Amino acid sequence: MEQTTGGFTGFNLSAAGERDQATLESIQFNEEIERIIAPAPENISSFTALLGLPPAQAKEILHSPNCDGVTAAAFPTYGEQPLCHINDQKPHILHSSSGTSTLPSNSALIERVAKFSVFAEENSPPEEPNLAPLSPGANLNRVKHEPPETDSNPKPTPVIPSNPSIEHKNERAAKRKEREKKDKESSKKSKSVVDETSGDRDKLPYVHVRARRGQATDSHSLAERARREKINARMKLLQELVPASPQISGTALVLDEIINHVQSLQRQVEFLSMKLAAVNPRIDLDLDSILATEGASRADCNFPDMVTPPVWQEVLVNGNRQQYQHQWQFDAFNQPIWGREEENRNFMTPESSLLSYDSLANSAPLHSNHLEMEL
Amino acid sequence: MQNPRSEKLEFLQKWMEGMGKCTSLKKNMSLLERKKAIKVSADLAMASTRTESKCWSRALIANIASRDHNSKVLTEHVIGSSQCLRLRKAFTSSSFSQLKNKRMLNRTRKIMKRRRRTVRSRVKKVVMADSIARRLVQKRTEMLKRLVPGGDLMDDDVSLIEETLDYIQSLRSQVQAMRCLLATSQLMNCS
Repeated sequence: MEQTTGGFTGFNLSAAGERDQATLESIQFNEEIERIIAPAPENISSFTALLGLPPAQAKEILHSPNCDGVTAAAFPTYGEQPLCHINDQKPHILHSSSGTSTLPSNSALIERVAKFSVFAEENSPPEEPNLAPLSPGANLNRVKHEPPETDSNPKPTPVIPSNPSIEHKNERAAKRKEREKKDKESSKKSKSVVDETSGDRDKLPYVHVRARRGQATDSHSLAERARREKINARMKLLQELVPASPQISGTALVLDEIINHVQSLQRQVEFLSMKLAAVNPRIDLDLDSILATEGASRADCNFPDMVTPPVWQEVLVNGNRQQYQHQWQFDAFNQPIWGREEENRNFMTPESSLLSYDSLANSAPLHSNHLEMEL
Repeated sequence: MQNPRSEKLEFLQKWMEGMGKCTSLKKNMSLLERKKAIKVSADLAMASTRTESKCWSRALIANIASRDHNSKVLTEHVIGSSQCLRLRKAFTSSSFSQLKNKRMLNRTRKIMKRRRRTVRSRVKKVVMADSIARRLVQKRTEMLKRLVPGGDLMDDDVSLIEETLDYIQSLRSQVQAMRCLLATSQLMNCS
């Protein structure tokens, strides 16, 4: 990924200005939201209260056994979860699984949990009405599950690496649900507590999702959860791609960063094409003529990675000053923003980072105003 | 994952082709025309490296081809007329207008919902953070859809995010290539 690392150096510097703007904006957002939430009651029965609490307390509350106050509907469509939750799930489940020695594939489950744990709490009461439609199968399954857990525990393992046949999927899902429910009922006497992991998405072509303790297990919510997990995985990838956002958590802010980044890239393309048009009086400069000149050989080598700008900088500083005067002469229009950006680009010294920071910071307020107007 | 270097070379080649075609279409272009020619050729070249796999490239090409006659000729030259024909079939005026109607329908529905919500909110003045968060996210996805070419054709978020990922990568490489070319041409001009 050399191209991206090269790009990063350039973009980290240029995005610094936007980042400041964005953090300022996000601080304003947070204040707004807190102001709105402050009069809300302090009980756990609303998501708004959670948002008002500091993250550590929220974690604690959400982890506590009586989490059924927090409804599924309280969570936004993207399933906003701070990244700290994912790390917290892992020790929680590790701890509970060490108590049960009968689960054969402990480590595999734990790995999967660590990779794909989703923290979405839903009401446990919906489980009860779910038993009703599945009752004809339930009796059969219950007979099967009468023998102790040593019998039931080997069953999860053949289920998990199952073959991708979609027509069996619903049947297996139903059986699995029943097994889990039976397990849960028997587990009230502190038997196997950990049966629940979320499915493996990378290895199998279709989704294997197991319900977490205290969650609804109808197919709709399973599918919904799978979808949300997919989205979150992709969002994490995007976060890595966009500079300066690994510490941001929360979908809206991440999307903000992404939008900023895309807009800045598009603007850069526009600006660079303008500059190219200004530099060459005729645009059909082909590769041959470039390759013919001596400096081009250096350009070709450096082309894949922009990691060696210092070679260019001294040369460019001298060249640009002369060029600059030419440009001002035959520039047909002098829009102030273009002028400012050109000025900044011409001085490609170590301060170039600061200057490009400036030019983008100037254009960032336009975007933030636009956003605020929308809201 | 294709070789990034070969991809970049391909991009450069196509870009040069496009620019050559532009000059053949019209000599002595003004600054703005030149800028537009450069940008359009670069966009086409960038999109052509991804046509088969991603939707945004196809949508971008279709947009450019539908602008005016010159652009259409240019796209056919760069992309290849057979592929261009295929793309135009995919994004033909009839199906595109259907999509446009669908988009307009979605927008009117949203406006109606917004109107109903404002009426209802006068009745009960309860502010829920979850709805705020949801609305923020929705607004941002809408904006992202407007930015990424062909974004509003995608209804599900997963494909939108994938398209954005790819689009960001391609934009980055495009910007890198342009910067490099700029540096070389400046070097050439001064030496």
